Amino acid sequence: MITRRSALLAASGLALLAAAGAAGPARAAEQVVKIGIDASLTGGDAQSALLVKDGALLAIDEANAGHVVPGVKFEAMVLDDGTATAGQYDPAQGATNARKMVADHNVVAAVGPQMSGVGKAMAPILSWGDLATITPSSTNPDLTDPKFAQQYRPAGKPIYFRTVATDAFQGPNMANYFADTLKVKSVYILDDTGAYGEGLANAFQAQAEKKGIKVLGHDKLDPKAADYSAVLTKIKQLNPDSLYYGGVLQAGVKLAKQAYDILPHEMPKAGGDGLSGPEMLTAVGYPANEGWYSTNASPHVTEDPAAQAWVNRYKAKFNVLPDDYAITAYDATEVIIDAVRRVAATGKPVTRSAVRDAIQTGKVKTLQGVVSFDANGDIEDRVISIFQIHHDPAYPADDMIHQFKYIGVAPQS
Amino acid sequence: MSATIPAPVGRLRAVWDRPAVRHGLLALLTAAVLLFPFVEGDDADIDSLANAAAYVALALGLNIVVGFAGLLDLGYAAFFAIGAYVYGVLSSFQVLPAWSPFWQPFAALHLVEKINQGGGDLVHFTLSFWLALPLAAVVTAGCGVLFGAPTLRLRGDYLAIVTLGFGEIVPIVARNTPYLTNGAAGLNGVQAPHLFGYNFTVQATPYYYVGMALVALLIFTSIRLRDSRIGRAWMAVREDETAASAMGIDRTRAKLLAFAIGAAFAGAVGVFYVAKLQTATPDMFGFPVSVMILVMVVLGGMGSVWGVVLGAALLSLLQSWFLPDLSEWLHTLGAAIGNDWLQQIDLARSIELIFGILLVLMMLFRREGLIPAARHAPSLDFAAQHVQGVQRGGFDGELAATALALPEPGRGNLLEVRGITVRFGGLTALNGVDLVVPAGGVVAVIGPNGSGKSTLFNVITGLVPADSGSIRFAGAEILGLPPHRILAKGLARTFQNIRLFANLTVLDNVLIGQHARLSTGAFGAVLRPPRTRAEEARALARARSIIALFGNRLAPRAAQAVSYLSYANRRRVEIARALASQPKLLLLDEPTAGMNPAETLELAEQIRSLHALGLTILLIEHKLDVVTQLADTVIVLDHGEKLAEGRPDQVRRNEEVLRAYLGRAAREALDAA
Amino acid sequence: MTVADVYLQQIINGLSLGAMYALLALGFTLVYGILELINFAHFNVFMVGSFVGLGVLRLLGVMPGAPALAGVALVAVLLGTLIVTMLAAGLLGVAIERLALRPLRNLRGPAAMITTIGISYILLNVVLLSLGADSKNFPNPLPSWTMPVGGAVLRLREVLIWLVSLALMAILTWFVQFTRLGKAMRATAQDAEAARMMGIEVDRIIIAAFFLGSALAGAGGLMFGLYYNFTSYIIGFTAGLRAFTAAVLGGIGNVPGAMLGGLIIGLIEALGGQLVSASWADVIIFSILVLVLVFRPAGLLGRVAPNKS
Repeated sequence: MITRRSALLAASGLALLAAAGAAGPARAAEQVVKIGIDASLTGGDAQSALLVKDGALLAIDEANAGHVVPGVKFEAMVLDDGTATAGQYDPAQGATNARKMVADHNVVAAVGPQMSGVGKAMAPILSWGDLATITPSSTNPDLTDPKFAQQYRPAGKPIYFRTVATDAFQGPNMANYFADTLKVKSVYILDDTGAYGEGLANAFQAQAEKKGIKVLGHDKLDPKAADYSAVLTKIKQLNPDSLYYGGVLQAGVKLAKQAYDILPHEMPKAGGDGLSGPEMLTAVGYPANEGWYSTNASPHVTEDPAAQAWVNRYKAKFNVLPDDYAITAYDATEVIIDAVRRVAATGKPVTRSAVRDAIQTGKVKTLQGVVSFDANGDIEDRVISIFQIHHDPAYPADDMIHQFKYIGVAPQS
Repeated sequence: MSATIPAPVGRLRAVWDRPAVRHGLLALLTAAVLLFPFVEGDDADIDSLANAAAYVALALGLNIVVGFAGLLDLGYAAFFAIGAYVYGVLSSFQVLPAWSPFWQPFAALHLVEKINQGGGDLVHFTLSFWLALPLAAVVTAGCGVLFGAPTLRLRGDYLAIVTLGFGEIVPIVARNTPYLTNGAAGLNGVQAPHLFGYNFTVQATPYYYVGMALVALLIFTSIRLRDSRIGRAWMAVREDETAASAMGIDRTRAKLLAFAIGAAFAGAVGVFYVAKLQTATPDMFGFPVSVMILVMVVLGGMGSVWGVVLGAALLSLLQSWFLPDLSEWLHTLGAAIGNDWLQQIDLARSIELIFGILLVLMMLFRREGLIPAARHAPSLDFAAQHVQGVQRGGFDGELAATALALPEPGRGNLLEVRGITVRFGGLTALNGVDLVVPAGGVVAVIGPNGSGKSTLFNVITGLVPADSGSIRFAGAEILGLPPHRILAKGLARTFQNIRLFANLTVLDNVLIGQHARLSTGAFGAVLRPPRTRAEEARALARARSIIALFGNRLAPRAAQAVSYLSYANRRRVEIARALASQPKLLLLDEPTAGMNPAETLELAEQIRSLHALGLTILLIEHKLDVVTQLADTVIVLDHGEKLAEGRPDQVRRNEEVLRAYLGRAAREALDAA
Repeated sequence: MTVADVYLQQIINGLSLGAMYALLALGFTLVYGILELINFAHFNVFMVGSFVGLGVLRLLGVMPGAPALAGVALVAVLLGTLIVTMLAAGLLGVAIERLALRPLRNLRGPAAMITTIGISYILLNVVLLSLGADSKNFPNPLPSWTMPVGGAVLRLREVLIWLVSLALMAILTWFVQFTRLGKAMRATAQDAEAARMMGIEVDRIIIAAFFLGSALAGAGGLMFGLYYNFTSYIIGFTAGLRAFTAAVLGGIGNVPGAMLGGLIIGLIEALGGQLVSASWADVIIFSILVLVLVFRPAGLLGRVAPNKS
């Protein structure tokens, strides 16, 4: 971002570095199209965020290398909505990031945010800025619910798209699995007070009650607290058949560790996609994480033979195995790139508004299948996959593909 | 980020002191601020400046609390949060009561609107941004008073930790009351401001102008407050609470006022910030925000309005402009030389590290900040000091009469102290002491060290409570009144160990002495109606006349900080400060201590002149010749009890007194004489 | 588990937290007693201490997920880690005093306290920027020994935290009561000027206070890691503020008061979490802080502070 204010800076004695900046690689004659990427790169979800960010970056690099859109050079504007203060995602930082993207006219669409809590803060700003975003992982249903249109898209058109299903499926489908497959009679529910965690836990609870599972209690965890033994002791006293946690990893990691110390090891414990991150493997560690269930609001692709070439490319570039949300992030970016391609092909200028319309009407073949959106921005195919952590010493401890065992697709109601 | 640049700053100040230069620069700055959005096309840069405006405004508010009144507030962000949530809750979709006809009139006023989210009709609050600004300011000021009332009497470091606790509690409450605040997830869809039907939405420029207008208003308010009776009272409390209170300042009120005004600033900025960001989460208002604002104030200079503006603007832009640009250039450099580490570097993340380093460096090497608040005249050089001989100044004639404007002395006994007993733990400092000062008299209290003389003064002026007894002044009981009320009744004092407001000028000290005789309040200070202007002009004239009473001892030094003055001159300033309060009774605690014989003589003459003009005087003095010269009556204290009372010559011959007070050797010396 | 058992368990939890807060509170109290300075740097000396402990354990080959140690190996590893951590934290405290606080010692006003806030920020951000914001897995060399107490369970880590805290507090009490340096510390806390005139080297006393206080914070940091099996750059603030409240509650400047205050705050946190909700625990604790300061600034065991003006 070298703008007019650079002159000001140069005057303040940084002329040397300014010269280095000017001597950098010359801008080609191509049009620069920026894609915003927003993820929670600081705090409890940093490792999962990295997988998502790298998924999007891979798509951008490949599009540039393959000249997928002639005359257009894609650039990423990577923004971090995690703050040290929050220790995880921070909606206010997300809002600041959204304003940053809106303020830069070269940004025509965005991938992200990773978290629903951030999405709720960003959506109105993006709406006023007419900037479409595709989230690879935020699953709270309110964001795309037409009931809340005045709140989350005040300017009118849908701008919040998803390459994942929502918690309207993720929570209830897991409740179905609890009732039908695990056959639990009672459950204790926890959430991390976040928009995502609370929504997911409530959706799970509603369906669990419908399925006749007795809900013995629903408590909230302060993600910044160190000690959950008080509430876990309370749960132990009530002795439920199972535990469900709605939330992300800052609280999730500590919960898993302390639950291992206090609750019976054989008690089924589960969370949503907020727990499907490398931190569950590395920060919780074995054997405390053993047996935990988690879900993803997307089809399981990383073990799909057709995706192996992609997995290898990802591994080669970033030296880490991807997870399914790296794929949804890659897919989201592919959808944007395809939209830009189609706009550019008509000869019209690549504007935010045109790109948004193109995303809305797109039908794009991606790793997870053909992605298309309904009138609210939700993905048409809704699949919830279930995983269970089971340590396989043959693979590295942080191997997202082999340590999270794929169980299957959760039963739809 | 050089912390020590005194010489250039000194030269700059000389230029700055010329009014033409100052007004020219201000006009230039205003023009630059107004024109910036037309010159700069990048919305992101304009938005950064709008954010900077919010931080400058916050720093100005904290500066009133920390800089002016000296109250270290480590939870200032709590008020920012309260303001933010006031607007956030009343203009978002968080609280949606069911619609009923009750809301109809509010809808007509555009305060609410009827919406439907499936289910029944609901009330959506749509409080106007422009109404919210003053509303939030009033609400947060109220919270400031509620929180401050019990805590502001704590010592400075305790106050810091209590405010820190308060600063932690407010976001936790916000996190734990989700029906009102949506908890940790925060408020969403807060309404953007509208002006004459124009919706600000997410554009940068309208917010920029609103932010700058807010800053201009707060700078104006800060400066007006600083240069007023209110501002002087704050600085007096900051310098020495006890002395401030003895000089007629209600310290609790002064502190509460500072706290409330600082909170009001934060409340208004909270509204602005939330309207701009359109979300409010508890994490936006934690301890790091309070510290950041404190760093801005410390960097700029505590108490210095323009310093704080500069400090806050610099740090805010450091975060949003300088560090990202520097990182960008390092990335380019890294790409050019193929260094991966340089390409990854993100300096903006280290902003809090920079804050920490700045705090430490500023405290170690430049505590007064980039632009120091106190701008005193330098000490007189040798030539200036010796250009004329000493002029003692005069107490006779018109000057003294206009300067002092003493109230009528009245008749009978001005002060009656009856049976005063004071105990500190097991120690009895005063035991049933009686004392009478007739109107128009001069009474001296003598006694060995530790005999309770100063304690007696402290009891009379309300600084120390008595266990029993009565003190009547002009017929009315004053025992138990707070010191500032006692001063207002017409008793002013000096202190044995000189308690001036050391970092303030001679003139300011004397002006503070007039506090109880002036009436300007916060609104008057800011709006400066003709009445306030006239009052200030009178106060200034009076202060100058009182300083003139001391001849060229003080007059040429009126603009110097009193800490630069000689010991004798400081004593004179303290007497001048006491005189400024138009006392009926002047209590002087060892006024000639530390003076040479010539100076002692001069001061004694001045005291006699004061007495001749109608002032009643109660004095503690060790120098017996001074006592003999001045006093009608002498009272001798020993071990907290009255040993003797009478005319100086009687007391001088009292055996007991001589034994207790002078010892045997002195008795022999006297006999020999 | 019956209701009574749950409360028993919460009391066990609370005593463990309390022991940790007491270790931390002692550092506040030692420095405050002598310098009348609220030392915000102490918060993050505790945090750095837990990272030092983590580093030492790793150097000793105790990795996360490694099998538990037993017998002599366990005692040697724990003792070694404890000593190194305490030394490192103590030296950090001394360095802070020498470099940043000594030049400001005789200054009136908030300069020294503001400096400690700055140092606290520096420590926090150096750890954050160099090691990242995610929480770190803390190795657990303790065998999973448990003992039923009624219906509640006592784990080895709780026993460890109690033993270590008790031992350290006993050593500290002995030191302050009976050694020459300790007596000089008490004298300085009573009246620094008189102590100086009696020939006590105040510099040495202040260094000793910082060393001891910081070393105890380091021990607290190590206990935190062993107890929760994680550490993070963020742990200092909350724990520090609770410990400070403990010091104030017990009577700041008062050594037994800090221990008592720590235990009370720990119990309030655990039982408050059971009775009300864990998310309100901090509100309760900070309200106590405010109320104590306003109504009984001398705390539970403190003498009424002399009115120094």
